[in-house]
Amino acid sequence: MKNIVYILENDFRNFFRYKWWLVGLVSMNLTDLFIMAIVYNRMLNPEILQQIKSYFNFFAPGLTVTGLFASAFMIGREVNMEKRREVHQYLLSLPMGRVELALGRVLSGGLRGMVYMSPLLATCFAFVGFPTLYQFLLILLVLFFLAVGISGLSIAIAVSTKSIDKFVTARGLVYYLLFFCSSVFYPLSLIEQLGREGRFPMPLVTFARVNPLSNASNLIRSFLLGTPPFSMEMIISVMTFSAVFTFFAAFAYIKLIERA
Amino acid sequence: MVIMRIIWFASQIAFFGLIASRMVAVEDYFRYYVGGLSVMTLYSAAVFIGFDIYEEAEHGVFEYLLSLPVTRRQLVLGRSIGGGLRAFIYVGPLICISLYVIGIVNPLNFLLALFSLFLFAFGVSGMSITLAVVIKSSDRFDILMGVLDALIVRLSTAMYPLSFVKEANPIYGWIANFNPVTYAAELFRWGAGVESILSFENPLLPLLGIVLFFGFFMFVGIVLYDKSIEGGGWR
Repeated sequence: MKNIVYILENDFRNFFRYKWWLVGLVSMNLTDLFIMAIVYNRMLNPEILQQIKSYFNFFAPGLTVTGLFASAFMIGREVNMEKRREVHQYLLSLPMGRVELALGRVLSGGLRGMVYMSPLLATCFAFVGFPTLYQFLLILLVLFFLAVGISGLSIAIAVSTKSIDKFVTARGLVYYLLFFCSSVFYPLSLIEQLGREGRFPMPLVTFARVNPLSNASNLIRSFLLGTPPFSMEMIISVMTFSAVFTFFAAFAYIKLIERA
Repeated sequence: MVIMRIIWFASQIAFFGLIASRMVAVEDYFRYYVGGLSVMTLYSAAVFIGFDIYEEAEHGVFEYLLSLPVTRRQLVLGRSIGGGLRAFIYVGPLICISLYVIGIVNPLNFLLALFSLFLFAFGVSGMSITLAVVIKSSDRFDILMGVLDALIVRLSTAMYPLSFVKEANPIYGWIANFNPVTYAAELFRWGAGVESILSFENPLLPLLGIVLFFGFFMFVGIVLYDKSIEGGGWR
């Protein structure tokens, strides 16, 4: 356990080296909320307006989740760089178990995501509304598991790609599929409607439904806005994603850095 | 990087453009959005020349460039035009995809729009070079360009019509009215025939805006570049 704390400390030091980059990223996210969302608010068609009431309120939880996703994914870039520069040889020589090393990396990626996401979540609460204490704790728990799952996904991609270009391409594919094929930017009902009309492939509609980003955004919305209604599926989807990718990433990290 | 942009562009059209067009009450929004998307991509690609300036300074290429038998002005002008052309080549296939989705109604209008996009790309390259030379730190430049990208694109008509921007916030509307991205996006849509929601009745106004933008950053870029590179001032 103590060794995992050392890994966390090291990764957090690296994370705060990019503090100005993080400030830039937060300001870009806030630009999305305070400019784009406000303008889209005026453009909504009446049916959607009736359903979501305000695009600003609808988008704020989605933006929190995208911020969490982007920051938790950053650990993959570092792991990929360590592999290319052979820093992993040094990491493997440290007096700690492989499992501790792998879990420490996955956990630190997730915790870094939580730290980055907190001002966005606070902004969301300040403008949309505050949840009850129980709801707040549940939101934090689900977002933490989501962050750990994303960190795991990112590490799994990082150790399975040899060059930075391949990593960036794979990251782009995963990023945009998870971002745009979700209910982060628009209600799920729109994707389902397009699917029924045959204008959107049904497998992608199913993907949008089970997408952990959709479920995490909808969980926050269900508590702050009351719509969509809360369901256990939201939690189960995020937990399953997190469990699968945490164990997969830990396994892949141990196997692939030993082989490299 | 090229593949990454293509993935971004395709997902923006296939997912965001398609779904968002159902979400908003704007006539022909899908074609409107695809037009704006091309200009957003062109802007992002043209900005990249600034990052090259830092790389050249770091690897000592700057000294080599200064030793070439060309004047400082020719050097800046060449870099800006080169950066703009490079962006155009890079974004060209994506613009072709956009045109396939949108269609072209009047080829003459489109040629004029294409000319203005060239000027826009040269102007953005000039702006990127100017900021790179002034800031002198690649980290700060990276952050500034990120924030500027977010602001300049969102406070324009690349994603939404000017009337909605004004309605949302008069200050946003005022900025969008004088934003070169607005001018480029409006001219591109006018050239491609997406005329149902144009913000300017007369296309000469945005064209004039782009010419001024190009001229300003070309002039400022030349002056600043000229002053800052003497005596190792770029270090």
